[in-house]
Amino acid sequence: MITTPSGTPSAPRARRRIIPAVAGAAALTLLVSACGGATQTGTNSGDELRNAGVIVHHQNGEPRSLDPARTEQGEKGEAFIDNVYERLVDVGPDGPDLIPSLATEVPTVENGLVTEDRLTYTFPLREGVVFHDGTEFTADDVVYSWERVMTMNLPEGQASVLVDSVESLRAVDEFTFEVTIQEPDASFLYSVVLNTVASVVSPDAVESNGGVEADAPNEWMDANMVGTGPYRFGEWNRGQSLTMVINEDYWGEPAKAEVRWDITPEESSRVIALQAGDADIIDISPSNVDDLDGVDGVSISAEGLLLEPIHLGFNMRADELPSGDTIPSDFFADKRIRQAFSHAFDYETYIASFLDGYGARYSAYIPQGVFGYDETAPVYEYDLERAAELMEETTYWDEGFTVSVLVQAGEPEFEGVALLMKDGIEKVNPNFRVNVVNQAETQFDDNLGEDPVPYALWVKNADPGADPHQFFDPYQHPDGDWGAKHGMRDAYEDPDLIAELIDAGKSTVDPDERAEIYAELQRILHDDPMWVYAAQEGLAYPYRSWLDGFTVNPLWRGPHYEYYSKPTG
Amino acid sequence: MQVRDYLLRRLALLPLIMLGVSIVVFTLTRFTGSPVGIYASPNMTPDQVAALEARYLLDEPIPVQYIAWLGGLFRGDFGWSGVSVAPVTDVIWVKIAATLELALAAGAIAIFVGIAIGTIAGVRQNKWPDHSARLFSILGASTPTFWFGLLLLVPFYLWLNWFPLGRATPDIYDSVTHLTGMYTLDALLNANPVAFVDALRHIVLPATVLAFGAMATIVRMMRSSMVETMSEEYVDAARAKGLPESVVVKRHARRNALVPTSTVIGLSFGFLLQGAVAVELIFRWPGLGQWVSSAILAGDQATIMAYVLVTAFIFMTVNLAVDVAYAYLDRRVVLGG
Repeated sequence: MITTPSGTPSAPRARRRIIPAVAGAAALTLLVSACGGATQTGTNSGDELRNAGVIVHHQNGEPRSLDPARTEQGEKGEAFIDNVYERLVDVGPDGPDLIPSLATEVPTVENGLVTEDRLTYTFPLREGVVFHDGTEFTADDVVYSWERVMTMNLPEGQASVLVDSVESLRAVDEFTFEVTIQEPDASFLYSVVLNTVASVVSPDAVESNGGVEADAPNEWMDANMVGTGPYRFGEWNRGQSLTMVINEDYWGEPAKAEVRWDITPEESSRVIALQAGDADIIDISPSNVDDLDGVDGVSISAEGLLLEPIHLGFNMRADELPSGDTIPSDFFADKRIRQAFSHAFDYETYIASFLDGYGARYSAYIPQGVFGYDETAPVYEYDLERAAELMEETTYWDEGFTVSVLVQAGEPEFEGVALLMKDGIEKVNPNFRVNVVNQAETQFDDNLGEDPVPYALWVKNADPGADPHQFFDPYQHPDGDWGAKHGMRDAYEDPDLIAELIDAGKSTVDPDERAEIYAELQRILHDDPMWVYAAQEGLAYPYRSWLDGFTVNPLWRGPHYEYYSKPTG
Repeated sequence: MQVRDYLLRRLALLPLIMLGVSIVVFTLTRFTGSPVGIYASPNMTPDQVAALEARYLLDEPIPVQYIAWLGGLFRGDFGWSGVSVAPVTDVIWVKIAATLELALAAGAIAIFVGIAIGTIAGVRQNKWPDHSARLFSILGASTPTFWFGLLLLVPFYLWLNWFPLGRATPDIYDSVTHLTGMYTLDALLNANPVAFVDALRHIVLPATVLAFGAMATIVRMMRSSMVETMSEEYVDAARAKGLPESVVVKRHARRNALVPTSTVIGLSFGFLLQGAVAVELIFRWPGLGQWVSSAILAGDQATIMAYVLVTAFIFMTVNLAVDVAYAYLDRRVVLGG
């Protein structure tokens, strides 16, 4: 939003960005009195092109590592890696379909590159590809890269994605790579081959800088990259910026503009930098996007939704609870209570206020935009009367209860879920109390890492995924990661049926059959919910209108700058 | 006591105080929970987490952990900074240089402008310069740094583009060898006027914002002690000798009024380090403040502890320097008395 000299918002939607408006008015007064009349007031200096030929993306944080073997899911490093390293397959700017990348074909049973038993995948590889250090890319390099990740097996990274899936790897010939997996997995290409850990790195670069050591990170690789992607790694000026340089020898169409990441932790400063024209793209929380609507020279890309649904977790075996919590450890094993909580959450308000409208509902448990999402699947409505009815059937209606919900500090989107949950439940009955507990990231992670989790409720988002199995297995399977931790097996009405369906979803290849399985799961898991399915955050990026071709596929881990161009002067 | 003896005694006390600070900061941060989370991820099994705890002695009692950490400090090992993904010692010098440059620039602005305004206000007591100075210092003391920073960014950066965000323009930054990590100084050492102007353009706004609060304290102190000294008999005596008023104010009154002000200056350096947290966030100034604020949100204990130790050290050193300056300004002061 532009503020005019008097501080009056020029757009009728002006609501939240009061600071610049007030600041504008006050600062203007200062200016006028100090300089005896300012001249350029009210005009953003950002109308002239800045940083010609360089796309500047102001980031809210810094990568922790640039090594595909070490980056955590959803971490900044992943977005950077996507532009410098490549995988065998990729997704383009539009749609969820896989396209060839270092492989020249996407393997399917139909094209004969996946065996009938769906265990062996063959990837014909692109010839003439050169790493950024000048060495030639061959099938051995894929074997090396994947084995490297599995040998290092860093728990903070995503090595388990490969370790849990791969049976054997083989270079059939110089340009044919073959992988055999442990069991048929319809999600293999999306969840494993497309994953950051499956990036192909230059063996020469690794071997001359520390090599591969079992169970240990390689510090050189944390801060250096030698891949095959459209960008070469430039430099990393810690705490300030990272750069990507155009790879002129790229096998595909070369990138059109250089890239710089500026680290700007404060959101207000990122917004001002975008308005000034120093930033071309900024990270922003959805609740602030609207403020930039209508600003001259700024466009907003708000297509698609993040594939990391925000949820509130129920712990059905909360053996240790914070002092003050009065519920028994299996409180949430009662389906009616979980349903009541699901009815006591104000979804519309959450999306409208905490996500500023940039968000959507998702069904149990699959985000919109992922194969198998069923538009007709039921979702919970905010209905306090229904919540009261459900709770009245339990013994807690009269005696009341107190329960704490754990949330990570400094994450307004997650805090919002906890606060609205508190608001709803406490409205249902004055004897019900929900305490919101804020914790720093490490303590939060530490608590979630414990088994059992020492809280009965907590808020976070799911790890992103491109295939339904990546959501159903860890978050809903009675014996999955969270299922085992939360005691879902004892809480589900029919755990065996759910386990059977989720396993069948993984091994079924026929898309129609698979979609049917997931549709059924979405109905069962709605009735027997293990999470409050709060909302999916919108994928919103404000960017300078002088960028051409700006688009972000929700399946990407961040912008793919090779598709964008910026005037050079 | 001689200045030299006093200095030696204070320097001897410094390690003891640092030891005390280290015990307090270590114990307090450990109370917030185990730092294992900086290495762990929610996907780890409890066994993997336990292995990590054993690797970093986190399963030992707190005193044992403290001794291990202290031993590390003596070897120059401040631990692993989770937010920087590097050993603390690899990154801390750059951060210290960034914050010191900012704090020193802010300190210089606060001291010179503060003393000048305070002097004028004290001399012109109850006249309009005095009233404006008081209004100015109330504003300075009560304006939140965070808000004031944003307030200045809108006209001076967004509209006029006089003072950009960050520490330097990347291309210009690359053209300079960075010997000290303080960009203005580095530009001078490189005899590179373009880089110097660029570094100045970047530092003016954050330093002004940071200086504002400290300046207010200095103005108030300077004003009241000027009012006091201007009514002293020796000032009248100086006037009676026929000295011009400017000499009376500068040589006689101001010098004596500076004595109590210098204490405030030393203390306000602490406020500068504290205020740097907000200022660095807004102006994307990659110093200690920005570093520790991300460390606090992340619960990165090694970084938090290193930050506290370093700022405590800087604060004590500055105050020692101020005390010595005190003796220089007022020869009557007996140090250590």
